Amino acid sequence: MLQTLFDALSLGSLYALGALGIALIFGVMRLVNFAHGDVIAFCVFALLWPSTDAMAIVFAGQLPWYLLVPFVLLCGAGLSVLCEIVVFRRFRNANPATMMIASFALGFVIRYFLLMLYSSRPKSISLLPALSQPIEIFGARLPLLQLITIVATMAILIGLTLFLRQTRFGLEMRAAAENFSMARMLGVRANRVIMGAFALSGALAGAIALIFGSQTGTVDIQMGASIMLMAFIATVIGGLGSLGGAVLAGFLLGAASVVMQVALPVDARPFRDAFVYGAVILVLLFRPQGLIAARGTKERV
Amino acid sequence: MSLLALSDITIRYSRLTAVREVSFSMTEGEILFITGPNGAGKSSLLRAIAGVTPVAAGKIQLAGQDITGQAPENIARLGLSMVPEGREVFGSLTIEENLLVGTGMQARDRTSRARTASDLEAVYMTFPILKDRRNGQAGLLSGGQQQMLVIGRALMTNPRLIAIDEPSLGLAPNITDQVYERLIALQAQRQLTLLIVEQSSARAMMVGGRMILMRGGQIVLDGDARTLGSGEAIQAAYFGYEDH
Amino acid sequence: MSAVSSATETSLTGEVIAAKKQARFALARKTIVTPILLSLLLIAITLITVMTGSRPFNQTVIDVLVRVIFVVGLYIFIGNSGVLSFGHIGFTCLGAYAAAWLTINPIMKSSALPGLPDWLLQTRLIYWQAAILAALFAGVAALIFGKVLMRLSGIAASIATFAVLAMINTIYSNWDSVTGGTSSVVGIPIIRTIWPYLIGAVAAIFIAWAHAISRSGLALRAARDEPTAAAASGVDIPKERLVAFVVSGAVMGLGGALMAHSIGVVTPDTFYLSLTFITLSMLVVGGMGSLSGGVIGVVLLSALIQALRWMEGGVSLGDATFALPKGIQEIALGVIMIVILALRPSGLMGNREITLTRSNRNT
Ligand SMILES: Nc1ncnc2c1ncn2[C@@H]1O[C@H](COP(=O)(O)OP(=O)(O)OP(=O)(O)O)[C@@H](O)[C@H]1O
Ligand SMILES: [Mg+2]
Repeated sequence: MLQTLFDALSLGSLYALGALGIALIFGVMRLVNFAHGDVIAFCVFALLWPSTDAMAIVFAGQLPWYLLVPFVLLCGAGLSVLCEIVVFRRFRNANPATMMIASFALGFVIRYFLLMLYSSRPKSISLLPALSQPIEIFGARLPLLQLITIVATMAILIGLTLFLRQTRFGLEMRAAAENFSMARMLGVRANRVIMGAFALSGALAGAIALIFGSQTGTVDIQMGASIMLMAFIATVIGGLGSLGGAVLAGFLLGAASVVMQVALPVDARPFRDAFVYGAVILVLLFRPQGLIAARGTKERV
Repeated sequence: MSLLALSDITIRYSRLTAVREVSFSMTEGEILFITGPNGAGKSSLLRAIAGVTPVAAGKIQLAGQDITGQAPENIARLGLSMVPEGREVFGSLTIEENLLVGTGMQARDRTSRARTASDLEAVYMTFPILKDRRNGQAGLLSGGQQQMLVIGRALMTNPRLIAIDEPSLGLAPNITDQVYERLIALQAQRQLTLLIVEQSSARAMMVGGRMILMRGGQIVLDGDARTLGSGEAIQAAYFGYEDH
Repeated sequence: MSAVSSATETSLTGEVIAAKKQARFALARKTIVTPILLSLLLIAITLITVMTGSRPFNQTVIDVLVRVIFVVGLYIFIGNSGVLSFGHIGFTCLGAYAAAWLTINPIMKSSALPGLPDWLLQTRLIYWQAAILAALFAGVAALIFGKVLMRLSGIAASIATFAVLAMINTIYSNWDSVTGGTSSVVGIPIIRTIWPYLIGAVAAIFIAWAHAISRSGLALRAARDEPTAAAASGVDIPKERLVAFVVSGAVMGLGGALMAHSIGVVTPDTFYLSLTFITLSMLVVGGMGSLSGGVIGVVLLSALIQALRWMEGGVSLGDATFALPKGIQEIALGVIMIVILALRPSGLMGNREITLTRSNRNT
């Protein structure tokens, strides 16, 4: 039981962080950023030295954790801001479909750039090995990593909330996310806010990369994509642009996945994700605006 | 020297021309009312000044600088504070946060911080309801209360020029009076320049100052509010001749 | 109007219908140039291919024709409704597997896909019969999904179609006894002549054209451009969207069947994100509001991909051979797409169609 709860929370953490990264950018730019998954992949690959050998040549992965964590977060933030400056800035006034496809194309470029440097074979890496020890809580044996994942996610969420609530920059970002042109008329600098959102979103991608990398022990080009799909869905279910909604929906999706894994009959288990997607469609039917809808009248993170 | 100068401003929405070759200028400390029937192009003109609607032709100068095509935030930083049509409050932010969004432009020194604090107090004095609910969500305010909030928010940025699109919209008459009292006091104290769009000329006649009447995207009358407002000419200009 | 007696009203309606018929006919005559020109373009490409007689080139052009079917299928829904769909490659998957079920040798089938019902195990159809059934199957699936999805709009609709794609992929990847799971289903008869693909592509173009000038297609485009006005004048937007969704789903199914016959093997991941991406890109780069844009997008991007592949293979200039490193092809493709979209956000063709009398706006 406790194990299930922790599974749900740690899977939900990944989805929630992913959804948050997408919602942040959507909020200020109305861009559904398909390149986000590839930013995650980039952060994971940044741990290795570029080579197409099957053996992973660990590079940043060897750093002690207090250097490793900022390094990966910075990688994500840096790449994400670069994407904004080089690509998305040109699409500020484009329609959402064009922006989506442009982000798709950008993701494609990042992915093949990584493939070119590292080849497509998944490589194994032992990241922060100390974390895979199981620990005992209330009689249940849980991987320490799971616990850290959950704690780290909570810390990130609280940190982000404080940042958005207590700082000048956070205030401007929330205002811009709600009504961009009004915020600009009040002197809020569009470029700064958008770059800030991209930097935060990229850092979140770095956090996912660290968590996912140490959970799976592999570096794989596909890993971003699998989280992304669920993260997108979470963003929409949460009510696009609503940060609180995105987080909540991320955890809900994680819980739904884990619960179905346990509750479905054995024969149906491989189809778990199909049920989750079906549930998503149902939710959208009843709440097309998402669970936390009505921008502006509801509380956000 | 004029604070704001428009020359031959034309604004188009795809095929429709909303404003056609409009020119006027305002000196520091002036009060200018723009009136006119629905669809005259008043709001379009204001949005163009603020930089949110592109102009098709013409030039806008603010404080001696050419601001045509400039980003709205840069125009705001030159001292324009805009209250657009339709109360654009940040609904998910608290009332106090709404008031503070526009104060980021100012220097982070002690004097400007003190001014921000006293501005906030002044806004709360004018609109006590905002003070009572300062930590409440702005989206939950009533329409008229939201109107108070956006006007208060515009006063917080320490502007040289305030442009307000229909301040009386949705406000009870006595609140409207208070809003105007406060605006005029500021105008007197700080040499604030006021550009106000109103549907009717009645308010302009009460307050005085200059009045421009727009119709069909053009200026049809320009003169002293009190003399213009009482004449027959305004009726004719307002409704147009062909409408009868 | 209400004052007019019922007798005159009937005759009036009759006249209106006649007038409308005439107008439709005039519209058809005016717009038919576009599908004809597009078909001629494809026929020309095919004829050149046949004349060169090169096997790899033949295969490349078959790929192009199959993609034309996909992109035209996407256009029918996305172009006319303005709703971005990520789910259509799911219907392609359905079509491809249906073709596999219907054409693989029964002996191979019963060992590889034992879960299929008996009658299906016994069936063995010719490829074009199978392709038609596959299209119908995909169309029915689109009808079922569409019934639910068409009530949504905007980004919610797009994400829901994404969920459909992921759902179909999950099911087909895991239902081992019927789909072979993630491993390849082999033994689909390979058709190497180019003509069936040409016919398929031309058929898709004419279906798209016929739908576009039908009452439903016109109403849908009106709703795309002026949603409020269209709704006010009584256009049932979900219904018209559903019609487009079903027609486009069937076309995607047809394309899937033909693709299966062009490569001879299918896996669920053939019909997933990368195919979705490439086909959507072709549509958007060409101009998602126009049929010509879709077809031209396929031809141009395919040519570009081919040229880049060729350079990856190595180009001899004098004594030296230059080869681009592997992966450059995709990177260059992505970069070029971004550049095109930045310069022309509504695609190369925008909303225009090609006609003989210079490009004119598609209404
Ligand atoms: N975003 C827009 N897109 C297209 N047309 C617009 C847009 N905004 C305004 N218009 C048109 O431009 C014309 C002028 O509109 P504007 O809002 O400037 O008038 P107004 O004088 O403010 O009217 P009101 O007194 O009703 O507020 C109108 O015909 C209007 O339909
Ligand atoms: Mg107006």
